[in-house]
Amino acid sequence: MKHLFSLHKIIVSLFFVFLSSSAIRSNPFTIHAGAGERGTGLACIMRSGFWSSFSNQSLLANNRTFSAGVNYENRFGIPELGTCTAAVIYPAGKSSIGIICSHFGYPEFRRNMGGISCGMSLNGNISAGVQVDYFSENLPGEYDNIRILTFEAGAVFDLSEKVTAAIHLFNPVPNSIRRSTVPSTLTAGAGIDLSKTLFAGAEAEMSTKEKLIIRTGFEYEAAKKFWVRGGFSTENSSFSVGLGYLLKSLKIDLGFSTHDRLGVTSSVSLIYKIR
Amino acid sequence: MHFAFLLLNYSCFCQVANNAEIISNIAEDMAAEDSDPEAAAIYLEYLNELSENPVKINQADENDLSRLFFLSDFQVRSLADYIKRSGSIVSIFEIAAIPGFDQHAAEMMLPFISLKENVTGLSDTLSVRSTLITNLIFKPGDNDTSSLGSPLKILSKYRISAGRFSAGFTTEKDAGEKFLTGSPPLPEFFSAYTSYSGKGLIKRAILGDFSLRFGAGTCINTAMRTGIQLTAPGFMTVRDNLRPYTSTDENNFFRGAAADLAIKKTELIVFYSRNRIDATPEINSDSTILFVSSIYKTGLHNTPSLLLKKDLLTETVYGMSLSYNFRFMRIGASWSETCLSIPLHINADDPESIYAFEGAGNRLFSVNYNTLAGRILFYGEMSLNNFCNSTLVNGITLRPSDRLTINVLWRKYSPGFTALNGKGPGNSSSSSGEQGITGNFSFEAAKHLFISAGCDVTHYPWLKYRCSFPSMSRKDGITLRYLPSEKLSFEFSYDYRYSMINDQNTSGVAGIKRSESHTFKWLFRYSPEKNSSFATRISYKTVYPVRSSGMLLLQDIYYRFDSFPVTLWFRYCLFSTDSWDSRLYTYENDILYSFSIPALSGEGSRSYLMAKLDIAHFGEIRIKYGFTGINKINGIESFNDELKLQFRVWF
Repeated sequence: MKHLFSLHKIIVSLFFVFLSSSAIRSNPFTIHAGAGERGTGLACIMRSGFWSSFSNQSLLANNRTFSAGVNYENRFGIPELGTCTAAVIYPAGKSSIGIICSHFGYPEFRRNMGGISCGMSLNGNISAGVQVDYFSENLPGEYDNIRILTFEAGAVFDLSEKVTAAIHLFNPVPNSIRRSTVPSTLTAGAGIDLSKTLFAGAEAEMSTKEKLIIRTGFEYEAAKKFWVRGGFSTENSSFSVGLGYLLKSLKIDLGFSTHDRLGVTSSVSLIYKIR
Repeated sequence: MHFAFLLLNYSCFCQVANNAEIISNIAEDMAAEDSDPEAAAIYLEYLNELSENPVKINQADENDLSRLFFLSDFQVRSLADYIKRSGSIVSIFEIAAIPGFDQHAAEMMLPFISLKENVTGLSDTLSVRSTLITNLIFKPGDNDTSSLGSPLKILSKYRISAGRFSAGFTTEKDAGEKFLTGSPPLPEFFSAYTSYSGKGLIKRAILGDFSLRFGAGTCINTAMRTGIQLTAPGFMTVRDNLRPYTSTDENNFFRGAAADLAIKKTELIVFYSRNRIDATPEINSDSTILFVSSIYKTGLHNTPSLLLKKDLLTETVYGMSLSYNFRFMRIGASWSETCLSIPLHINADDPESIYAFEGAGNRLFSVNYNTLAGRILFYGEMSLNNFCNSTLVNGITLRPSDRLTINVLWRKYSPGFTALNGKGPGNSSSSSGEQGITGNFSFEAAKHLFISAGCDVTHYPWLKYRCSFPSMSRKDGITLRYLPSEKLSFEFSYDYRYSMINDQNTSGVAGIKRSESHTFKWLFRYSPEKNSSFATRISYKTVYPVRSSGMLLLQDIYYRFDSFPVTLWFRYCLFSTDSWDSRLYTYENDILYSFSIPALSGEGSRSYLMAKLDIAHFGEIRIKYGFTGINKINGIESFNDELKLQFRVWF
């Protein structure tokens, strides 16, 4: 049994190595939460939703309901690569406040994150948001544990009634001023409501030491309160699909994306509208 | 048309805050040209000077209008004719509707023109105006102890004007240089001039430092040199130009006296210059200088060995240019003579240098023409030196409709043709031994869609640097600009470069290796309000046969506060390139008379924040802090930062 456990750890470690040696990958510190977002290929920087605190805090300005949600994402069917996230959005005056937390990994290797964000509308066409993040990374053996405080900010522009553009910047802080290295990420994208039921978007993302990633996705309201989603990302040539259903105050989303070599990532999220 | 005016209005505002994309693109192209690294600096200095001292187009004649160097002769004439025929331009929106102009040209002009008129009709000789600019540039992490002086870079410019008279000086000290050198001690670089501009016999007279250009510049051109621009047709021109020298290139100007005289349709420019320039000496065993092996052009003297090169060579240049304006044609001829105090001998053992200039004297003659026939502008120049080596440049600008402009430029420089103070249209720094043809067009394809494209093919019949065989190069470029509304602009451009270089892997005689690069650029700009602008850019470059690629994503934000006089510029850029071959250039907004077009290579980020504080109506302070972080293989980030301060007062 002990041997099996060790073998399991070796396989998981190999996955970590393999993930980190992929040709193109996104910043591991930019956590993508939400099964709906997963279903649209993570092309969500311009699309307002409950999990906007994780993608673009400026989108919180459009989210004016007090709501809470949880998300679980499992990468490649390996529990040790699972990510649990939870968030609360609270409208406060002219802005909306988001509180988020996330846990990734297993006892020997885990990365926890907490953050508080605020998004508000600056005028009719522009919204901006900012978030303070705290990361805690625990590593096995002689490696140093990491504690990092950083921030991220974004803006969204309503170019017309149907077209939205957005930018987002994660950790624009030089790593030379602190002991641990956290990659920075810049994302820009745009989306369009092609009809009342169909939205499509695309975004470009670049992180320190990484190549450019292009993501595209769509969301189609196939029936009342029922959504179908799809997307593609150049990050590991990943295709995504997803479903969403609104059951009174509870929204249930499922999302799946492929990795060109490692398999499927699945995600489920529940969002409850409190008031 | 009204919509076009509205469109222009917004776009114009945007490029006041952030130089027009066309200007940025040209500056980046020039910075990427290894053969002439100073060209981009001079180009941007000219733009700075123009923005400080804009052309009063309603009072300007053709000569004054030609200060807008990015306009073609066709455009200058068209603008002058329009003002003469229709009276003063009361709104900048009129410009886009003038034959020969479009929105692109009008956008580029806006920061550099003034529509003010001298309503009183009196000369403004009593009005004295002074401008003083001081730049301080400091790199905190730069601790080079081998340098002679402090790491601070200092630049000061002063200009005083009173009616037709103006005077000014420029001093500069580069990082690592001593501020005062020589005997008696003078600033490391000091340049001064006095100038008179008139409307009568004397159009301009300058005493002190000046820059000069005759015709296409193949013989004399110490003014701006833009190389071959594929998507900016206005730079192809044949035009004399005498102006005070206010730049900081320490070796490419004249020092003495010059006058531009005009009698009716005849114009004469005469000049005499005696200037000391930097050179690399070859010293005999008894410490006497035998000859100079090269002219040192960077102007940097931060080590004892570089200081030895400073002002080593005395260059005496004199000459004249005579031109006559017929009704539809301008014909000019020029002559110039250059004498060096020490002969120039380049290493003759190197086959590449067989045709290089040697000796202490160079005499040049040239004739040029410029004629407008309907919608076709012909221009050209032929030059000859005292060794019977020649240059021929001919071009056509055709405007078959108001929405289409086509340019063709052909040039042939003999391998032995050398103009020590010249730079005609061409790709290489000296243009010697180059023959090529360039064609381009700009086209308003649809209501909001503008296309410009060009192709240049150049042959080098003799060897050149890093190329031990006759070779050729090719450049292709296309730019699409889409302006769907007054607040939005999209731009896509593609550039292709092909050249031939030595294959270093081959033993013995060097083999031939092709080098190709493909560069794609997407730009999106959104200006939601008059005081804000957001721009996102993606660049992607691939280089063959090394199979190296590079890409960047950057975000620019511009914001001017309404409640207090502060303006902010912010950029955040992430880049990743496989090698130096796939480096990417990005133009940055900067303090005046300083420029920054960093070559981004490796993996890292580049950011800056610049703020401008306007102090009433007599001054401004700018401060810029920029930093670049490059990730090393061992995971450590190298960090380079730079602080720039500018104080500018006018009174």
